[in-house]
Amino acid sequence: MNSDLRSELHKKAEQAWPDLELLIGWQAGYDDLHTTPVFIRDSAEISKLIWNPWCTQNLAVYVAKHFAASSGKDDKKIGVCVKGCDSRSLIALLQENLVARERFYIIGMPCKGIVDLRKLHALSGAARILSVQVNAEQVALKSAAGVLHFPLDEVLMRKCRRCRYPNPLIHDVLVGDPLTPRTDAHEAYNDVAAIERLSLQERLAFWQGELDRCLRCYACRNACPLCVCQDRCIAETRDPKWLTQYMHLPEKFMFHFIHALHLAGRCTECGECERVCPMEIPVALIKEALNKITLELLDFEAGLDPQRVPPLLTFDAGETGI
Amino acid sequence: MDTAIKFIAFDQLNSALDRISEQLDVWVPVASKDQKRVIQFAPYRPGMTLVLDHQTTLGPKQVVLPQVEALFRFDYRKSADEPSRQKVQLEDPHPPAPTLIFGARPCDVKGFLVLDQVFSAGPFVDGIYAARREQTLFATMVCGQQDSACFCSSVGSGPTDRTGSDLWITPIAAGYVVEALSDRAHPVMAWLQEAATELHVAAAGKVQEEAARQQVGNLAVDQCQQHFLQRFADTNYWQEVAGQCLSCGICTFVCPTCYCFSITDEMKDKHGERIRSWDSCMFFTYTLEASGHNPRPSRLERYRNRVGHKFSYFPEKYQGLIACCGCGRCIRNCPVSIDIRKAVQNLQGQNHACS
Amino acid sequence: MHAHNPYRPDLASIREVVQETANIKTLRVVFEDESVMHNFSFRPGQVAQLSVFGVGESTFVINSPPTRREYLQFSVMRVGEVTQRIHQLNAGDQVGVRAPLGNGFDYENMQGKDILFIGGGIGMAPLRTLLLFMLDKREDYGDIMVIYGARTPHDLCYQYEFDQWQKANVNLVLTVDNEFPGWKERVGFVPTVLSEESPSPHNRVAIVCGPPIMIKFVLFGLKEQGFEDSQIITTLERRMKCGVGICGRCNIGAKYVCVDGPVFSRQQLSEMVNEL
Repeated sequence: MNSDLRSELHKKAEQAWPDLELLIGWQAGYDDLHTTPVFIRDSAEISKLIWNPWCTQNLAVYVAKHFAASSGKDDKKIGVCVKGCDSRSLIALLQENLVARERFYIIGMPCKGIVDLRKLHALSGAARILSVQVNAEQVALKSAAGVLHFPLDEVLMRKCRRCRYPNPLIHDVLVGDPLTPRTDAHEAYNDVAAIERLSLQERLAFWQGELDRCLRCYACRNACPLCVCQDRCIAETRDPKWLTQYMHLPEKFMFHFIHALHLAGRCTECGECERVCPMEIPVALIKEALNKITLELLDFEAGLDPQRVPPLLTFDAGETGI
Repeated sequence: MDTAIKFIAFDQLNSALDRISEQLDVWVPVASKDQKRVIQFAPYRPGMTLVLDHQTTLGPKQVVLPQVEALFRFDYRKSADEPSRQKVQLEDPHPPAPTLIFGARPCDVKGFLVLDQVFSAGPFVDGIYAARREQTLFATMVCGQQDSACFCSSVGSGPTDRTGSDLWITPIAAGYVVEALSDRAHPVMAWLQEAATELHVAAAGKVQEEAARQQVGNLAVDQCQQHFLQRFADTNYWQEVAGQCLSCGICTFVCPTCYCFSITDEMKDKHGERIRSWDSCMFFTYTLEASGHNPRPSRLERYRNRVGHKFSYFPEKYQGLIACCGCGRCIRNCPVSIDIRKAVQNLQGQNHACS
Repeated sequence: MHAHNPYRPDLASIREVVQETANIKTLRVVFEDESVMHNFSFRPGQVAQLSVFGVGESTFVINSPPTRREYLQFSVMRVGEVTQRIHQLNAGDQVGVRAPLGNGFDYENMQGKDILFIGGGIGMAPLRTLLLFMLDKREDYGDIMVIYGARTPHDLCYQYEFDQWQKANVNLVLTVDNEFPGWKERVGFVPTVLSEESPSPHNRVAIVCGPPIMIKFVLFGLKEQGFEDSQIITTLERRMKCGVGICGRCNIGAKYVCVDGPVFSRQQLSEMVNEL
């Protein structure tokens, strides 16, 4: 699957290359189930680029954190491959003037969804998955116990099953044809709604149970394309000192809720914070809850329109939502 | 000697652990609730369901080197001589209780052999670690579940490596066969009631043979110490292997051999502790000096230091011992799938020739 | 140091606080336990972890010499959380001290040689301990020259004892970065003054400590004047926590600044990985 799209990606990357100094994309990782970002600085390496349902990383994370301040030689640009969700991160960065549009060449990848490795492992039950084949809408998963078949939809990431924007909302070139958004898009905040239906006591217990596992490794923070003050984070500064280094729940709550509050009305729901958590804490739900509120009160979704100013970055005396 | 071998039927595992945990603190691998795949070592409580057929997300490092622990307590008290002054009293941490880690893997135990050098080889000995290590027994399981990130055989260990373990557990069709590997194991063996039969022992032998045949990983580490130093200044190389690093702390926190820690004071009212807490060399703040200078300012220097520490600096300091147990956790958990095997494998060679 | 718990400090009390400059204070402290004070021995150049309980620890060189044992002296520049708190301490207040840590100067190898101290700002502190140690054993050493620079005359530490140094036959060359009303000594950066003085490298050891940029140019200047790497000694600053070679952060390659340093010859540094 996707070999046509991969050739198309290579072709379009080659065409763009004369204007690029760097191209950020995905390449094969240490096994068939993993991809890893690649920074291409030589056109001979374009053949390393891949595109498939394992291309999970949101490459926009590198845009603000590594390259925002860089200036191109001879007006050359930085190319970056983005899925629909990733493109929203870029737009949010543009909305906040954290990056300059003309510095980047955006290769948009219409995306049918990314496979959730945890779901695969849970379905297989085996310690080692030997191989996985994706054919159209079916996944064939081979382990020592034999071959199992699942509908692709069942093993997609949570964010993909609620995806409303499969097509990059900003791009200079598109690889493949635009896709029709999923029909159940109006249910995007179902997971948040389910938590909201719990009593306050139950909700507290839920988050206590989940956040208790946090290791404070800060992967959720560092993988977030919009968490841009990472080296000056309240989680680690001693001067001023906001948090102790204890591993008590209050510290973990404080970190995660401040992280989420800093993303209120900014989070584009790329789901990276949740995917990277080694302890499988559903931290994206916290940000989704804030986004749901932002949508209801301020009629705003982050990362859709580069021209629009996020409501929490401005002040509107005539605000009607609140 | 065969009479010393014991057997625990699957349905007797909890009652065996119930008996042992009356005598010792026992830590076992358990899954977190909600069917998640997160498996951690936790203090054993009767009725717990152990997960013994998957590698744990976090190894048992925290049992001997907790993520946070007090180095000493301090209390400000009114001075008897000068009532206007507060005087500090210090108190050492309490001595540790005897502990058994049940169901660790050889890679997990290998991790402690690395930590032992740092904390106990001197010139200074960390008595807090040493005391807890001294009180900790390992009941280790032969490993039959490797995945594509495992490479224990490449770093001098392997699925049947018994080094450092006190008891040796082999899962067979009916339960677990348990052997004593050290004198320290004998009391625990005495609490196990059922002797293994010849059939059990033979079945265990087969499992062992099968596991011993596994060559887990094909990373060559010969002379990586020198190769690293030759590669040190090759910025292109480090850009190639770690340009995508996000500077999070996952690889260090899940690593059985990473031990670097911070020391901070935490005080409430007039009472507090000086604590150590796991730190990560991947963090910008780790080496940030008060003056603002940072000797490892970017992710490239930091990742290079991690590779160097494990495969060059550590063997240089400790008689060739590589500070990596090949468990693969850093690879498996890295958000951007950085592969330390690739970083080490390609140290040798001319240009930044890694593909 | 406590054998079983190397992180546990000895309690000490401040005997005296000296305001050296606007942002540097010198603390003179004595261990509360008299036997600890009596048995305490160290080499010049060794460091201590000084702590305020509830705030934290920070590393300072013991800048009083081992030959003067009535107290231990630390000079503290106010730069961070811990040093800010230390600056609020007064005589009689309690601190924690873990010492001695690190290697110290190899003064045995300097005997019979001429000595050149080159210090900048707070970097004079580790030089002072060795200087006073040498003055107390003056006959063991040859000529002693000190080039000491700071931003302004008000930023020079230990001004109250410059007379004593000079009386003990120390060639003291003071410099400040810019002209200053009333300043009669040299004006200019330390590396420039060094090249003006151009001390002969023959049978001489140079000991350098100061801000990284000063060290960089001084090392360059010394090389130009013919100093071999083995004749140049420096003492490094690195963020330290445990001070006992365990916690991991102060490494330069396989060496730990807290146990293998902080004193290194340029020769040694050239054999280490380049990560200063």
